Amino acid sequence: MSPRYLLRRLAHVVPAVAGILVVAFVVIQAAPGDPVLALAGQHGDAAYHAFIRQKFGLDRPVFEQLFVYAGNVIRGDLGHSWVHGRPVASLVAERLPATLLLMTSALVLSSLAGVLLGVAAARRADRPTDLGVRLAALLGYATPSFWLAQLAALTLALGTGLFPVQGISDARGAWTGWRHALDVLHHLALPALVLAANELALTARLVRAGVVDALGAEYIRTARAKGLPERAVVRHALRNALLPVVTVIGGRVGMLFTGAVLVETVFAWPGLGQLLLSSVQTRDTPVLLGLFLLVSGAVVVTNLLTDMAYAWLDPRIRYE
Amino acid sequence: MSEVLRTPAGLAGAALTVALGLLAALAPVLAPADPFASVGAPLTPPSRSHALGTDDLGRDVYSGILHGTRTSLVVALGVVAIAATLGVFVGAVAGFRGGSVDEVLMRGTEAVQIMPRFFLAVIVVALFGPGLDRVVLVLGFTTWPAIARVVRAETLSLARREFVDAAHALGATTGRVVVRHVLPNALPTALVVISLNAASVILLEAGLGFIGLGDPRAMSLGYLASNAQRFLRVAWWMAVFPGAAIALAVLALNLLGDALGDLANPRRPSRGRPA
Amino acid sequence: MTRLLRPTALLNLALLLAIPATVGAQTAPARGGTLVVAISADPGHLNPAITTSGATHAAAELLYNGLLGRDERGDPTPELAESWTIEQNGALYRFRLRPDVRWHDGTPFTSSDVKFTFEDVLLKLHARTRASMSGALAGIDTPDDRTVVFRFKQPYAPLLLQLDATEAPIIPRHVYQGSDPQTNPANLQPVGTGPFRFAAYRKGAEIRLARNPTYFKPGLPHLDAIVMRVIPAAGTQVLALENGEVDFLWAVPGPDQSRLRTDARFRLAQTSYHPGGSNCIMTVGFNLQRPLLKDVRVRRAIAHALDREAFLRQVLFGEGRVAAAPISSELAWAHAAGLAMPAFDRAEAERLLDAAGWKKEGEATRVARGVAGVADGTRLAIDFLHFPAFSKYGELMRQHLGAVGIDVTPRPLEPAVFAPTVFKDRNFDTNVISYCNGPDPEIGVRRMYHSSQIGPAPFTNAAAYRHDRVDALFDEAGRTVARDRRSALYRQIQEIVVQDLPYFWLVETPTTRAWAARCGGFRPWTGLFAEAASCKP
Repeated sequence: MSPRYLLRRLAHVVPAVAGILVVAFVVIQAAPGDPVLALAGQHGDAAYHAFIRQKFGLDRPVFEQLFVYAGNVIRGDLGHSWVHGRPVASLVAERLPATLLLMTSALVLSSLAGVLLGVAAARRADRPTDLGVRLAALLGYATPSFWLAQLAALTLALGTGLFPVQGISDARGAWTGWRHALDVLHHLALPALVLAANELALTARLVRAGVVDALGAEYIRTARAKGLPERAVVRHALRNALLPVVTVIGGRVGMLFTGAVLVETVFAWPGLGQLLLSSVQTRDTPVLLGLFLLVSGAVVVTNLLTDMAYAWLDPRIRYE
Repeated sequence: MSEVLRTPAGLAGAALTVALGLLAALAPVLAPADPFASVGAPLTPPSRSHALGTDDLGRDVYSGILHGTRTSLVVALGVVAIAATLGVFVGAVAGFRGGSVDEVLMRGTEAVQIMPRFFLAVIVVALFGPGLDRVVLVLGFTTWPAIARVVRAETLSLARREFVDAAHALGATTGRVVVRHVLPNALPTALVVISLNAASVILLEAGLGFIGLGDPRAMSLGYLASNAQRFLRVAWWMAVFPGAAIALAVLALNLLGDALGDLANPRRPSRGRPA
Repeated sequence: MTRLLRPTALLNLALLLAIPATVGAQTAPARGGTLVVAISADPGHLNPAITTSGATHAAAELLYNGLLGRDERGDPTPELAESWTIEQNGALYRFRLRPDVRWHDGTPFTSSDVKFTFEDVLLKLHARTRASMSGALAGIDTPDDRTVVFRFKQPYAPLLLQLDATEAPIIPRHVYQGSDPQTNPANLQPVGTGPFRFAAYRKGAEIRLARNPTYFKPGLPHLDAIVMRVIPAAGTQVLALENGEVDFLWAVPGPDQSRLRTDARFRLAQTSYHPGGSNCIMTVGFNLQRPLLKDVRVRRAIAHALDREAFLRQVLFGEGRVAAAPISSELAWAHAAGLAMPAFDRAEAERLLDAAGWKKEGEATRVARGVAGVADGTRLAIDFLHFPAFSKYGELMRQHLGAVGIDVTPRPLEPAVFAPTVFKDRNFDTNVISYCNGPDPEIGVRRMYHSSQIGPAPFTNAAAYRHDRVDALFDEAGRTVARDRRSALYRQIQEIVVQDLPYFWLVETPTTRAWAARCGGFRPWTGLFAEAASCKP
């Protein structure tokens, strides 16, 4: 992977980030009412409004405002929540770990399941197994995540008593170390399962397409002709199929954030979902904007990383 | 197109989509009651008089679902229309002009594609107030990148500039070339993208309703599903049927899209091949 | 005989006599255990003196006390103040404070804490205290560490009912003096006098409280710890209760009540007290400045067209009461019984509308024919503003009023937008607001009708109602301490407003608390609801 490629790829990030900032900024400006109110809220007094006006340069020309805003964001200052009275960045930082835990677990689960299902479907393409797998995966995607979450809470948690219905840990136990980790895993199980089920259709579809593709390729036919066992053939095919899966992780991050927010609300998982919900109810615009910027940023970074991983994995690929 | 219908998935998808479309279009005629009117005792289970039961205000759930499907599909169509228009325009311009115009447009496309649609819709609704028109606009303006890519790829593959020059010589405008030649070739792949995006729009709208940003004046499937949350234990039919309707609509569009996608893939193994 | 009277013998005798009293009777409350409470929102901070937010008060009141407490009937009981006297006909209140109270950090509690809390915090930042007291208060004196004197410019009636932990929690002077109470870090690590101390605050997740071993009420509290779990979805709260993960719910959603009531594992209790505001009535407000609503016959017709029983059934699932008077029945002494409230009568509504010049001419909506200030042919179409959470009210308004020829367009507005639209811009025809009467009509009722309360401040006189006699009656009632005299004054007020109909009062909205049957001793009528609670393991 040449340094020139790396630089070019990094250069792509700049317009993406700029675009996101511009959109966020335009939305604030276009909203009805005084942008000061959007950023400061109804409850502040004149002094606080003046402070916000000065901080964001809201009495200066529009382009200057944009630069001030962009400068703030890049320095990590995502604004001030007027409801909580604290920087948005710190509010988000408090709740991000829980959401990341949920998203990563779901990502791992859905990737594994997606690969297994995709392979199974591809090997029996167009036969009942294929259709059955695709249908099941699609159903998981098609059902709204919050609906699936409520169903899971009702049947798998309350119904069987095997799983807790809410929270990240048992309220009554004050455990540490291993017992705490197990407790968290116990609480993580259902939300992660729901989120993964919602999301694995994409991976399964990609893997299936990729394996089906590869299985039809020349070199596979050669391998078969050479008498290579079927399992090895599939493994070869899989290796090629996995590449698109890697590139798509960036888009999945965006989808996972959205899904996580909805699932967290049902399971009272103490992450960004609750922050989003309460900020929506109180119209706490700085927090909403901060969340938008965060998720966008996460997608940008993930795309960058996966592109580099892709290039590293497949030496044939070069974006000239 | 007829090949799609030969695969069971494509057939099922197409059939479901058409059925849903018909139901939605004919909703005002088919619905036994005004979905906003109290027509029965609240929270009655499915019965002969109310096929899918009544909700907490005594409204007929079946009528609500018919109208809700209609609303959700209209929203999806609106989004797709905006996205397709923008996408075709940007993709064609980028493909034809090439060079720096292409670069700039592609960077812009990437930027828009990265933006999380759900969060942007949340902000817009939070700032501008709830309303399906706003949702359609926001989602439309963030969904075009995928279509733009497809159109651009197709435009680029019309590598033979002479062909374009010849068409120009014959008096055809660039626009005509796009419409006559680019679009038909781009259609299969574009349809995949369109159907998948339409499906995700329905889900996004439902999600917005769930967190309280839905349009309460419009009977959409998302509103029905979120309204039913409180009654999960006492009136399962209020949640199950709208949820199933959403799942069906999304499923139909996805099956169709999948089948179309398979078709567009040239290296698909033919039937009867040894595993 | 003398042997029997020896101290140890007497002691033994006493014990022997005592045993039958405990056997068969309730055993002493179980000590220890953790109570898990579900709260609907992360409060953001734990200082209830700077806000009237229900979330903060629900989570944090157990950390503090007020000068007085409230019993089940709503009457004042001693708390930080052990006794009090009312002098000068109610223009001077003298409180004697308990000597044995300490803050959670060990510092002794004195009268200077009370003076500081009121002057520097409550009167500036607590909306209800500021609105009711700041104009009437002349000053607060602290002649010694154990005495606080409230001096008013005129006799001030409601004071004793606004001194509990909800209306006036006392915060420590030695922690807050010299700082901005809204940003002081103690808001996240609070120091109070209450039955429970602060243990931990995990943002977005939970608040942990621990037993205060030096609480000034002997034997209390019984519980070792309380955990307030943040669970925003009401459905999940109920699931958590039924799954045993949570022991106490602040509010059981209507649809789940009958199921939980018949479940032996739970106990339910209905109350009109809520830390965000008590004794609330869902009230339809009319914008009296709009020509369509100026005629009282139109307003009366609207009132007659509304089937309030249907509201009670369909929106509240039977939990609550149709409002029989403008003042909540929970304030029994002020609630006027037997008033001529417009009853549900569609025929009468139609008759009134016809008489007022609104004719049905073949269309669904009536049009004006000879209505003062309204052009002929104008449709009787009004909007109806409400919080999104109250959209059911909008639905029912539309249905009920549509049946008599009034076109209603519900407009849902988020709270942040609702308040300026209604109170600043006055851009509405009708609205519905949950007006909470509070512990005394002076606190929550006056602001709805007094002409001085017309203005941009949220949740004041939305109707812009102006009536000199009503103003005078309110002023007098606020100055009179004798309850029966006040009762008569409020009755006169209610009779007038029921005739004038600047508002129409729909339903009273109590909430139902629920808890696991193995726990008990709750006081749902106050914010210190778990002060005497205990849970069997």
